[in-house]
Amino acid sequence: MATERSYVSYATAAVALAAIPLSFVGPEGLRLAVIGLLMLAGPGTALVLLLRFDSPRSAQATGALPLIIAIAIAFSLTMSTLVAMAMIYARLWSPPAGVCALSIMTLAFLGLELKRPKQALVRAK
Amino acid sequence: MTHETATSLPVHTAHRHEAHAHVGGAKPPTHRNLGLTPSWHIGALAATAAAALALGVWSMTQVDPLLIGGAGLIGVLPPAYFVALGLSLAGFVASLSLRRLVPALLTWQLLVAVVILAGADPIIHGLPRLEASFRHLGIADTIGQSGQLYPGLDAYFDWPGFFTLLGMLSGATGAKDLFGIATWAPVGINFLLLAPLLALARRLTANPRQAWAAVWIFYLASWIGQDYLSPQAHSFVLLLTLVACLLSVFGGWAWPTERTRFSRWLARNVSKLDSSAPGYGAVEPHRADTAVLVVVCGLFLLAMTASHQLSPFAVIPILAALLLTGRLRLRFLPVLAVVLPVGWLLFAASTFLVGHFGQLIGSLGDIGANSVGALSTRVSGSDAHVLVVYTRLAEVALVWILAVAGAIVGYRRKVPWLAAAAAALAPLVLVPLQPYGGELLLRLYLFSLPFAVCLAVLPLMSDSTAGLSLRRALGLLLMGAVLATATVVSRYGNDGMESFNNDEIALVNRLYSTAPTGAVLIEAVRNTPWRYQHYADYDYRALVAAEPIPNAAPLSCDAANQIAHKAGAYLIVTESQKEAAELRGSTPTGDLQRFTATCATSPGWTKVYENAGGVIFHIEGVTNGN
Repeated sequence: MATERSYVSYATAAVALAAIPLSFVGPEGLRLAVIGLLMLAGPGTALVLLLRFDSPRSAQATGALPLIIAIAIAFSLTMSTLVAMAMIYARLWSPPAGVCALSIMTLAFLGLELKRPKQALVRAK
Repeated sequence: MTHETATSLPVHTAHRHEAHAHVGGAKPPTHRNLGLTPSWHIGALAATAAAALALGVWSMTQVDPLLIGGAGLIGVLPPAYFVALGLSLAGFVASLSLRRLVPALLTWQLLVAVVILAGADPIIHGLPRLEASFRHLGIADTIGQSGQLYPGLDAYFDWPGFFTLLGMLSGATGAKDLFGIATWAPVGINFLLLAPLLALARRLTANPRQAWAAVWIFYLASWIGQDYLSPQAHSFVLLLTLVACLLSVFGGWAWPTERTRFSRWLARNVSKLDSSAPGYGAVEPHRADTAVLVVVCGLFLLAMTASHQLSPFAVIPILAALLLTGRLRLRFLPVLAVVLPVGWLLFAASTFLVGHFGQLIGSLGDIGANSVGALSTRVSGSDAHVLVVYTRLAEVALVWILAVAGAIVGYRRKVPWLAAAAAALAPLVLVPLQPYGGELLLRLYLFSLPFAVCLAVLPLMSDSTAGLSLRRALGLLLMGAVLATATVVSRYGNDGMESFNNDEIALVNRLYSTAPTGAVLIEAVRNTPWRYQHYADYDYRALVAAEPIPNAAPLSCDAANQIAHKAGAYLIVTESQKEAAELRGSTPTGDLQRFTATCATSPGWTKVYENAGGVIFHIEGVTNGN
C-alpha cells in the first residue's frame, strides 16, 4: 500500500518536473499531454497525498477513493484557474511562468508529504 | 481486484470451511458459499461492455450527418446503436445485481455508457458542439495571446476564470487551437464528473449499490448538454466536489442543537423526518488536515465565482439547505458563498453590473416570466422540434416524479432522503432571482439532478446490501432504457443547429482571410461557428437571434444594408443558420433561402465566396461606394 503511494508520488513529481521545460519548448502534442495532465491533476494529487487520505486500497474499501480523486482534480483545476487569473489581474501574463508555478506548488506539496510523520493517517469510516 | 460491499467481508469463513474440509469431509469452499463472484462473471460483463463500446462507436461512424432532420440524431442512428446502448444498460444492471460490487467493473461500464451517450458529437461530426464552444475558444485565444481582458466587449471577460485557464494551457503548450479538446469535451467532462458524483451519492444514499445506481441514472437523464467546453461545466465539477467534500468531512449540525428554541425545534423536526445518518463515505481527517480542507473549499468557491455568473449563486441555497438539515457544520461557508459572488459582481464585474443593472433588477421576483413564460416560449418551432421539447419535459417530469416517490419511500423506510431532497429543491429559489429566462430552467434541472437521482433510486431498489432481485433488476433496466432513449431524443434533438461541418469552418476561415481587421461581420441568424479566432478584432453583428419568435417577420436586405451603411460589411449565411431558423421558428419557413436569393441581386451586394456550408457577401457602405 505504501508502494502504491510512492508510485503515485513519483508519477506526480515526474509530470511536475517535465512540465517546466515543456512549458517553454517541445513537441506540441507532448506539451499538451504533460501540461494538460499537470493542470488537471498535478497540485491536487500532491495535496491529497499530503493530507493522507489513507492508502488508495483501503480508501477504496471504505469509500473515500471517489472523494480523493474528486478533490485531486477539482483542486488542480482551481489552482490552475487562480494562478492564471492572478497573472491576468497583476498584468504579469506569462503562461510558461504559470505552469512553472503549478509545478513548484506540486513539488512543494510532495516535499511536505515526505517530511510529514508517517502515522498521521486519516480515519475513514 | 477489490470488491466492495457495505457489510464486512467474512474473512474467517474460508478458514472455517477449510477446517470442515479437513475434519469431516464437508464440501470444499466454492465461490457461492464464500459469497464471491466468479472471475468469469466479471470478465464476461467487462467484455460485454467492451463489445457495447465497439458496436456503439462503429454504429455512430455509420451515420450520415447530412440526413439529420428536425428531430435530431434519433432519426438517423442505426439499430446497432440501440443494441450497443441496450448491452451497456443490461451489463450495468447485471453488475449491480452481483452479490458483491466490483468498483472497477462498474466504473468501466459507466465510462462506456458515457461514450455511447455523450460521444455522438465528436464521433459523428468531429467538431465542437454548439456555436458557444467556438466563442469560448476565441475568448481563451484572445486572453492567451494578449494577456488582457476586454470587459467592454462582453460579459465573458467579467468572469474570466475558466478562459484564463484555457489561455494558459494554450499559451504554455504552443497549441494554436484547442479544437480537439473542445470536440471531445462532452465525453471528458462527464468522465471528470464520475468521481464527485460517486462521492456525493455515497453520502446521500443508504448503501454503495444505491450510490452506483444513482450515478448511472444521472448519466442517463443528463440531457441538458451543458457538458461542452464551457465555464458552467468547469464550475459544475467544482460545485459537486465542494458539496461532496462538505458532506464527507464537515457533516453535522453547525450549532449546539439545544442552544435556542429554534435550534431545538429544527433538530427535532429534522430527526423526525429523517433520523438516519449515512456513515458510508465519511472521513475524519486530523485537525490540521481539516483546516486545510476548509481552505480548499473556500478556494473552490473563489474559482467558481471567478469563472461563472450563475453557478456560485446556485451553491448558496444548496449550502443553506445542508446547513438547515444538519449536514453541514461550517456555518460561515454559506456566508462566504454569498459574499464572494456579490463582492465579485460589485468590484470585479462592475462593468457588467453598470450595463445590465436594469435587466438584473427588472426580472427580480418575476416568477412567471422566469418559469412558465420562459417554458412556453420553448414549446415552439417545427413539429419535429416541438416533439423533442415535449420529450424533454416528459423526461424532467419522470425524474422528478421518481424523486418525489423516492422521498416518500425514504421517509417510510427510514433511510437517508432529507438532505438529498432539500439540496434538490434548493436551486429552485433562483427562479425569481435570476434573469436567465428559459436557460435558467435548464441549468436548475442540472443543479438539482445529482441530488434528485439519489432519491430516484429509492423506489427502484431495496435497502438491502445484497444483490438486486430479478424483479427489481428488470424494473431498473426498464427505467434506465426509458431514460436513455429519451436522452438520445432530447440531448440530440437540436443536432441540426448545434453541430457544424468542415465546409462551414472553411467558409468562416475564408471570411477571416477576406475581411480586413475591424470590419463589420454580420450573421443572418445567430448560430455561426465563428469567433474562435479574432474575437476582439471585428465588429460582430446578427440580424436575428436563434430564438423562437412568434409570427416572425421575414428578413429584409435593408436590415443588413443599415448595418453596412457607414463602412460596409460582410454577411455570412450558413447551413446551420438555416437549420436554427427553421427549428426554432426564428424566421418564416424557407425565409433564409429567399433572403439570400433576393439580396444577392441587390445593388451593392457582391458574392465573395460560396461552398456547401454557405455563402459570404460583401455589402458596400457609403465609404466603399465612394
